Parts: sequence; C-alpha cells; structure tokens
Amino acid sequence: MAAHNYTNWFDPIENFFDNALLPAHWLATVPARFNAWGELILSDRSDLEVENTRLKQESLIHRGQIQRMADLAAENLRLRLLLNATELLMDSVLVTEVIGVSPSRNSHTLFIDRGTKDNVYVGQPILDAEGLMGQVIEVFDEHSVALLITDSTHAIPVQILRNGLRSIAEGTSDYDRLRLRFVSSTADIKEGDQLVSSGLGGRFPVGYPVGSVINIEHNSGASFVEVDITPAAKIDRSKHLLLVFTSEDGGEVGRSQ
Amino acid sequence: MKQSGVGLALIISVFIASVLQLVPVSGYLLVLKPNFLLLVVIGWIIFRPSQWGIGFAAFTGLLADLIFRAPIGMHVLLFSAVGAIPLYLSGWLVYFSLIHRCLFVFFLIILAEFIRNILLLMWEIPMDYSYILMTALASAAVWPAIDRLLIRVNRKR
Repeated sequence: MAAHNYTNWFDPIENFFDNALLPAHWLATVPARFNAWGELILSDRSDLEVENTRLKQESLIHRGQIQRMADLAAENLRLRLLLNATELLMDSVLVTEVIGVSPSRNSHTLFIDRGTKDNVYVGQPILDAEGLMGQVIEVFDEHSVALLITDSTHAIPVQILRNGLRSIAEGTSDYDRLRLRFVSSTADIKEGDQLVSSGLGGRFPVGYPVGSVINIEHNSGASFVEVDITPAAKIDRSKHLLLVFTSEDGGEVGRSQ
Repeated sequence: MKQSGVGLALIISVFIASVLQLVPVSGYLLVLKPNFLLLVVIGWIIFRPSQWGIGFAAFTGLLADLIFRAPIGMHVLLFSAVGAIPLYLSGWLVYFSLIHRCLFVFFLIILAEFIRNILLLMWEIPMDYSYILMTALASAAVWPAIDRLLIRVNRKR
C-alpha cells in the first residue's frame, strides 16, 4: 500500500486493467440503457410532443440569453482591452458521455467516452449543465478517468459571486457536500451565497458555478468557520458532460459534437 | 461437479460479482449496495474451504483493489483478514441454517467495513460509519441468493 501511495510502480498494471475493465463497465450499464430504451419505447406520443414543445421553448429562451451573453462578452472584451489585460480566454467544449462510475463510496471517479483521440488531456475541467463536475486525471486512447470535485482528495479554488471572497472548496466523499477551507470567522459569507471557480492555480477556468453555501458553523474559539457547500452540478446523476478546452487564442465557442 | 466445472463456476461468480459491483447507482442506493465480491469470497470459503482459502481471498482482494481504484493491497488485506474468519469456522457454518448464516454475514460485513474505514484513514479519507449498518443489512438481504446458488453448485459434485 505504501509502495502504491509513494511510487508509480503499479501504474502499468492499473492502466492495463482500466482498459480491460471497459467491457465490464459496458455490461454494468446495460440495465440503465435498457431502462432508458424502455422509457423511450413506452412513452406516449402526446408526452413526447409536450416535451418537444417545452424543449423548443427552453431553446428559444437560451438563445435569447446567449445573445445577451454575446453582448456582455463583447463589452467585457472591450473593457479588458481598455485595462490592457494580457490574457483573453475563450473556452470551447466537447460533449462526452459517462460510461462508468467508481463502485467505491470513497473514490469519486467517472469513466468518460473520450480519450487521447479527442485531444483530452490530464487536468482538463469537466462540466455538466449545472456546474463544474471535476477534472480528468487519466487519459487512454478511447476513454478517460475523471476525478469529481466531491472526492476527498480534490480541492478547487473558488470565490463568492457576491463579493469575490476567495477560498478553497474541498471534497468530503459525499456527493451532496463540499467544504470551504480557511474561511475566517469574520468573513462576509452567508447561507445561499453562490460560489464560482476563481481560476487561481490555472487548472479551472474562471466563473463556472461550483455550488452554493448551505450551512455555516461557528465554533467558539476557532479562527475559522466551517462552511458546507452543495455542488451546483448533479454530481451523481448527470450522464452527458462537457469537456472544456481553454484556449488563449480566442478559439471558437461551441466545438460541441 | 468436476474440478474444472467448479473452477469455471468460481470464475463466472467472480465475474458476475465484479459486474454487479460496477453497476452505477446514485444517492441512497449507493449506501445499499452490497460488496458483492466480498460476499462471493465468503460464500466460496464457507462451502469449499479446502480448495478456496486465504489465497483466493487475497487474489479477489487484488481484483477489488483494481476495480475500486483503491491503493493496491488495501482490499488484499481486508479480504484476507475477513476471509480468515469463515475459513476458521467453515466446519460449523455449513451446518448453520440459512438465517444464522445471514446473521453471520451481517456481522462479518460490519467488521469488514470497520477495517476498510480504518485502512482509509491512512490516506486521510474521512471515516463514515453511518452507512455501515445499511450496507451490512443489504449484504445480508442478498446473501440467501448467493448461499442457495453456491449450495446448488457444490451439490453437483
């Protein structure tokens, strides 16, 4: 165990086994896929029409919001240029699907169906429709392994949207909870505050939703408060995710497939 | 059943347990997911103690380490330690009723989860005792199926 922890002697074995385990992952997800197929087959035509109408309306709303976003992005760009900002980041994304999850309660990892063939790289951020999910930790030809933000070994630099207060959100091995580290007992933080990635450390891009504050515990005599966060992303439910490609050349947004 | 047949049954049972272990579940179902690999190890040790002992438990533990992406050696240690108990008691366990074997499995899983949590502390992964009882109950609930299957396999000798 110590050798595994402090050396990389076992990496070839683990890499080989990760590849060998793919068919087992495929078999393990057969019930879920069969269930999805069954729901599709058994769903009523009228239900599908209602859902289609709702999705069209949502699409319309989102397109309207994107137009507003484009306007804000352009304004942001102008302001950054005025401030002589040296780095202009624009992100493109690639859609990926979850093909397996870690069976352990203590290891929060996912297997996704994109690998080196899709230019996936170690450290690449992963999102779902609601917020940040985690980052890629291992890349293979056809698939990759991602560590979720709720894993107890994971930490992400964040800031409060309301006032820009910076902190670090670390995983707790609980899919519904993160914890903020080193928040001063006098810090301006309250329940309901939204947290986004701060971009510090250069691993995660700035401004993606991470979660919101659900509980603040003040311990008398302690210098720091304990702050519980509920993740914005549906960590244990999302099936389709986005791999974020950050580029400094202002690459085209929406490299989605 | 012939020796090769028993070997094949064992490989199939371990494979099915591995696949069941990988079935993705979320929320509270995660707490209710039994450790199928450990149950299969316990089953084979109870019904074939002369053939499948600590070595088999250790090998399956290695497989569990790779499946769980845990530090290599953790489940080897866990499965070997837990597997030693049914091996020691196997002479009596085969004469137990199904209910008593379920109870035995229930307490064995509680012990296994405690050991696992203590081992995880070495990596500073927070311990969580709240789910142990539910996992043990779920394991005891699926045990009759494994028990009956292994009795049937071993009766065909």
